[in-house]
Amino acid sequence: MTGTMKWEIVHVPGEPESSLEVSTVDVLASKIEPKLANKIVRQLNQVCPLENLRHVKRVRKRTVEGNAELSVILCLSDEYEKDAEAIPRGIHQLISDYNLCPYNAKVAKYAARSKEEWEEQCKLWPTSYHPSTNFDGVAGLSEGELQLIFNYMKVVIQLTKLSYTGALQVLNAAIIVDPISRQVIASANDQTCPWPTTYETSARYNCNDSDVCAGVSCLNPWGWTAQKQSSQSSSMKSESKHTWHPLRHAALVAIENAAERDRQLFPGPGSSESQSTPNGNPLCADNCPAKRQKIQQHVCQLDLFRQEHSMVKEVPDNREPTEIMRPYLCTGFDIYLVWEPCTMCAMALVHQRIRRIFFALPNPNAGALGSVYRLQGEKSLNHHYSVFRILIPEQDLNRVELNVSDNFLLHG
Amino acid sequence: MALETGHDLLTELRFMELALEQARFALENLEVPVGCVIVEDGKVIASGSNRTSATRNATRHAEMEAIDTLLEEWQKIGLGQSEVAEKFSRCDLYVTCEPCIMCATALSILGIGKVFYGCSNDKFGGCGSVLSLHESASEKLSRGDLQAKSFKCTGGLMSEEAVALFRNFYEQGNPNAPKPHRPVRMPQSTE
Repeated sequence: MTGTMKWEIVHVPGEPESSLEVSTVDVLASKIEPKLANKIVRQLNQVCPLENLRHVKRVRKRTVEGNAELSVILCLSDEYEKDAEAIPRGIHQLISDYNLCPYNAKVAKYAARSKEEWEEQCKLWPTSYHPSTNFDGVAGLSEGELQLIFNYMKVVIQLTKLSYTGALQVLNAAIIVDPISRQVIASANDQTCPWPTTYETSARYNCNDSDVCAGVSCLNPWGWTAQKQSSQSSSMKSESKHTWHPLRHAALVAIENAAERDRQLFPGPGSSESQSTPNGNPLCADNCPAKRQKIQQHVCQLDLFRQEHSMVKEVPDNREPTEIMRPYLCTGFDIYLVWEPCTMCAMALVHQRIRRIFFALPNPNAGALGSVYRLQGEKSLNHHYSVFRILIPEQDLNRVELNVSDNFLLHG
Repeated sequence: MALETGHDLLTELRFMELALEQARFALENLEVPVGCVIVEDGKVIASGSNRTSATRNATRHAEMEAIDTLLEEWQKIGLGQSEVAEKFSRCDLYVTCEPCIMCATALSILGIGKVFYGCSNDKFGGCGSVLSLHESASEKLSRGDLQAKSFKCTGGLMSEEAVALFRNFYEQGNPNAPKPHRPVRMPQSTE
């Protein structure tokens, strides 16, 4: 194992990275009599609450020539710039009641993510800063945890290689990991194309080569209609009726495998399988033999992979899983993907309550974690995961198998 | 909608009633009450209802269930990718709640014809509420020949009925999910 390569991890925040200069909003502010501050602020919060600027303090206090000077934000001024008449009537009332002289000011648009950023913001107008809510940054990761994360990323890149058919294309791969028990919960490859039958583990490929990557489902979600049939073997065709599926991207298959594992480990109540016996309803998909077989096939593949590399730590079986240990969906679990997921996969990971997402390569076509959309920043969603990108030197990406060896244990 | 004939509206209501039937089936099974039907040439060819609790897979929304039955059926009779794509383009989906971001992307990937939905989905909606994936995001998602596919989307069809089912569901409580999957708001026109 080479210890000299430089892998890096970058947090991908919910808001786009931007300099303070562009991430400000214009507000209308005014100096006020300190004695009247309470009264005015109370009225302002009723007339014009600053819903999307909760991190911004309504009142700024400065000391000018030994005297405290208070200013208050009246309202946003962006939309009123050209039309002073458009200022809310209540604000007009306040201005005339207290003889205020409004002026334009700028405040930070987003809550600060670091102390440095916060200090920078406060030069404009004071904001509040809560370091405790910013724990999802890279700073919270220990050196040991980082090594584990990098190792899992190597595992998933290796899985991508397992899918390499020697016939031009690679597929995306995903593994779902319980970071506490260090167990691999599920793994999967893209299954949008006919499943390859041979693996070329020693293959070298360039993940940035667009031809090689054309089969990566999330990179090219709309490309399934143009898939070549060439890699479909005749034996495969007879064994399984479900040889391709435009929506079976690696992340979705991994979620399905994790759910399957959950049902097997914890067959208790909550699996309302018996209640949902199809009653004029379409036969449920999990019962179809083709899918069963696929899961088994996949388990075999992973077993093979484990034998080859013995990197995946197995938890001893003497502990019977109990209902208490049963996780709710994938709460607390991490997922590793080679390519940034598309909106379908990224939303699926919200639904399944994944805790953290790690990916290596951006997806400029359809990426939902910063490239095109940024689901981790969609406030309306009921769950938010943290997103990290792992920067891997190109030579490592192309030759990862050289760096994965038997003495490289995940629990080391 | 403005030019729609009374006959079309009646047909749409009839299909939405079938989707609501699926949603009621889900409710009976303690699932989030969302249901759908897929229609080709005026005939229902597939139906689905939410199965997230039974499968412990939160991606098993009604749309995904119905889509999977079709993909399986069509592959069974030997259709290839381009034929399946052609089939989907002639299909309409009737679903009781606006498709979420995941399902809206899936429908765009498949190239569905039209989508009719009941109530809007304020928190997860991918057809206008949170993101607008049905509009093919022509500026956002288009590179070379990877054109995202758009589909026509009409909301507000029997939304009161869809919302009422959600109310029932949250009143009866979901023993399997600590948090609701498809929060609901009162229906609004989705123009």
